[in-house]
Amino acid sequence: MSGEAFSLPAASIGGFIQDPSNANPNPKPNANPAKKKRNLPGTPDPDAEVIALSPKTLMATNRFICEICKKGFQRDQNLQLHRRGHNLPWKLRQRTNKEVRKKVYICPEKTCVHHDPSRALGDLTGIKKHFSRKHGEKKWKCEKCSKKYAVQSDWKAHSKTCGTREYKCDCGTLFSRKDSFITHRAFCDALAEESARLTSVAATSLNFRNDTVNLPHGFAGRGVQDVAGIPQFGSGFPQDFSGMPAPGLPEMVQMAPANLFGSSSHFPGFENGGATSSNSNNLSLSQLPQGLKEEGRNEGNLMESLSSLYSDNQNKQSKANASPMSATALLQKAAQMGSTRSNPSFFGNSFGVMSSSSSHTAPTFMASSSASMSATSNKLDKLMLQTGGKPSEPSLLSMHHPGSNTFAQSLTRDFLGMSNDQSPRPFLPQELAKYAAIGSTMGLSQFTSSNH
Amino acid sequence: MVPEGQSFVTSSPLQFIPWMSFSPGLGSPFPWLRELKSEERGLYLIHLLVSCANHVAAGSLENANIGLEQISHLASTDGDTMQRIAAYFNEALAYRMLKAWPGLYKALNSTKISLVSEEIHVQKLFFELCPFLKLAYVITNQAIVEAMEGEKMVHIIDFNCFEPAQWINLFQTFNARPEGPPHLRITGLHEQKEVLDHMARRLTEEAQKWDIPFQFNPVVCKLENLDLESLRVKTGEALAVSSVLQLHSLLVTDDEMHKWKVNSPSMSKTDRSHRVLQMNQRTLGEWLKKEPVHAYSPSSDLASPSPLSPLSLAPAPKMGSFLTALRALSPKLIVITEQESNNSGSTLMERVMEALNFYAALFDCLESTVSRAPLERKKVEKMLFGEEIKNIIACEGVERKERHEKLEKWILRLELAGFGRVPLSYHGMLQAGRLLQTNNYDGYKIKEENGCLVICWQERPLYSISAWRFRPYD
Repeated sequence: MSGEAFSLPAASIGGFIQDPSNANPNPKPNANPAKKKRNLPGTPDPDAEVIALSPKTLMATNRFICEICKKGFQRDQNLQLHRRGHNLPWKLRQRTNKEVRKKVYICPEKTCVHHDPSRALGDLTGIKKHFSRKHGEKKWKCEKCSKKYAVQSDWKAHSKTCGTREYKCDCGTLFSRKDSFITHRAFCDALAEESARLTSVAATSLNFRNDTVNLPHGFAGRGVQDVAGIPQFGSGFPQDFSGMPAPGLPEMVQMAPANLFGSSSHFPGFENGGATSSNSNNLSLSQLPQGLKEEGRNEGNLMESLSSLYSDNQNKQSKANASPMSATALLQKAAQMGSTRSNPSFFGNSFGVMSSSSSHTAPTFMASSSASMSATSNKLDKLMLQTGGKPSEPSLLSMHHPGSNTFAQSLTRDFLGMSNDQSPRPFLPQELAKYAAIGSTMGLSQFTSSNH
Repeated sequence: MVPEGQSFVTSSPLQFIPWMSFSPGLGSPFPWLRELKSEERGLYLIHLLVSCANHVAAGSLENANIGLEQISHLASTDGDTMQRIAAYFNEALAYRMLKAWPGLYKALNSTKISLVSEEIHVQKLFFELCPFLKLAYVITNQAIVEAMEGEKMVHIIDFNCFEPAQWINLFQTFNARPEGPPHLRITGLHEQKEVLDHMARRLTEEAQKWDIPFQFNPVVCKLENLDLESLRVKTGEALAVSSVLQLHSLLVTDDEMHKWKVNSPSMSKTDRSHRVLQMNQRTLGEWLKKEPVHAYSPSSDLASPSPLSPLSLAPAPKMGSFLTALRALSPKLIVITEQESNNSGSTLMERVMEALNFYAALFDCLESTVSRAPLERKKVEKMLFGEEIKNIIACEGVERKERHEKLEKWILRLELAGFGRVPLSYHGMLQAGRLLQTNNYDGYKIKEENGCLVICWQERPLYSISAWRFRPYD
């Protein structure tokens, strides 16, 4: 293996050296320490010999190869001992008794800080590990927490402590380090208090004002009077929310007019006439799983943040002030509302149970599999059937028409139990009240606030 | 008139409702409607749509009219996603109601000028703005290249030939084959002659560049009127078929006729098999060999409003005969891309619900992918999706061409018709993934299911791609 190592006196590079002479090494401040003192990393000895190795050499594990059997060794000494077995001439190099120049190594990666000789690292193993860690591929993965490492020793060290010592906050977040745990708790305590206080508030309000409280209008009102902690989440949420659907809009628009498909240069996998298709296989194999995984991870993170949000603020629909919900999300929500209602009045009761079911719907919020899609369509079916089964529903809806004639007519109709009613309407007064409640919150917020 | 004594902690809001004192006419937008936030409005719209569809299905046109009116106050083709969806669904429901007065309907539709160039333009927009067609083409081409390994004469039939990029892509891949490109013939189908002329020019020009012996045969016709003879398939050539979002139009059937037939009381096995014979025109022996009894369940979904049982296929005579004829050509590969939705249920409510879910995902996807080209997006929404929605909701019988079925049903149909599955390779999936990545398409996913690929938007499957080949009866 060609060692593309070349050594240069540190003096001629970087130019930070005060005394350029090599012949007379400057006496070190503590000349003969009992124990070798360790410099700060990246602050090498001024007159040390700088060695720049190529990445290949750096990463090579077995540089010394036996000619006979091609067995590789990390050290020349080991190779020599091995050669004895083949009855080959061997020679163990003695440690030179001349003054050995200290060697420091620089990182071959040009963009790296340690590429500069003035920030060279003092140890060959050190530079190897650094190169792997920073510029290498992370091949080692912890089984417990899926953290990845490029250097095996790092991985081993981590897996020893992974999961052993953990701090857990009340909000459920885990920490392995005490300092980060404490920092978090400082914030979290505040939030914990808020949620405790609010739950008690919300509980009372839920009991008394089933229908008026949990509409988004109501939320907006409550959000204002509530704690600063909540808007924090509220503002955090829209970012997450819109994170998935619309991340790279500018880029997306750019490609819209371009004839991507036709121009061979842009088209993946068909560049170079597909001659490299087999090569591009290998490339894409490594690229794609990351890409796909990233999408999954993004979604996973999004879901985690969503579920933590929901678990923190059980009754907060603080996304009322977020970007508009996607249509699919709205449909799911409508289906949930339709399935959780106990009596057929659509808006009245279901808004009341909306908040309590919201924490259940959170996991299915953004990422609904096709199973849940069919589930929701079933629920929507139920919704549909229930509304279908009660054709007087829309007449109740038309109560929203302030047109007094229609209102009077529908009321009359329903009181008398006429029209295409198939079932008796014993709960009409309740529904009326509920619709009234909706009307009050929806359209007449001044009354709502006065009711608080 | 208004009941009282309701236990509310708040003072009874009833007296605050100035329903009685407001009396604007029915036509004016109500102030409180404007105060609705986007989410509430969206939910309200969904509810309105569902209840209006119920009325339309039940035939109570008065109530449906009120519903349409309410929806049109809230819906808008320029509003947010749910508003736009509601606008198109509203229009579709209105068309459906209009058909109750055939004279009105015909008179209103008679002076429509359908601009062919606009339709073609919209198809191109859909190709450019969304990755679905590109993905379908990539995967199709990959499957073709793999299936045609070693073949010297390749004949490809394209059921909707309008985008030259689809095949130019294939030229490049074929050119790079180790054994060199095959002799390639492409037969393109389309309803417009101009489109095929354009294709012919572009493709011949590109084929010369890539040094591929090439021949293009245009066939101007509709898929359902296709005479397979006109495809001029020669013996000895390897045949591949690419069907992107076309095959479902063959599922049209005269629903009325079949509804009536299915409701016949006794369902012995021979009766069933007879019915199958009539409906699908396959040999009895072959049908009895398999056990597709479960496929034609006596409780057909045609009449009852219950959700479709997963394995019951709606009968489709046209599809049956078409597939039989196609099979007779012994194709080496058929790649079918279809919408992953279940619109062929014959009750209106089922179709409305399914379409709501499907098009909601499509609209969301379009919104997120193309939010800065609103005019183009509107065109695609109106002329492509809107027309599909209209067809699904307003049309019945043979007019209803947009009969989407889910992958599992396509699999069933094709297997029954004598085709064997060709699993789509991992390489194809990778290429599709790379396309998504390089062009920064976010939110899309490609899932593999049983050798078929499904393109999803945010976990909602939207399009399915499957590959088939001629399978000899064993």
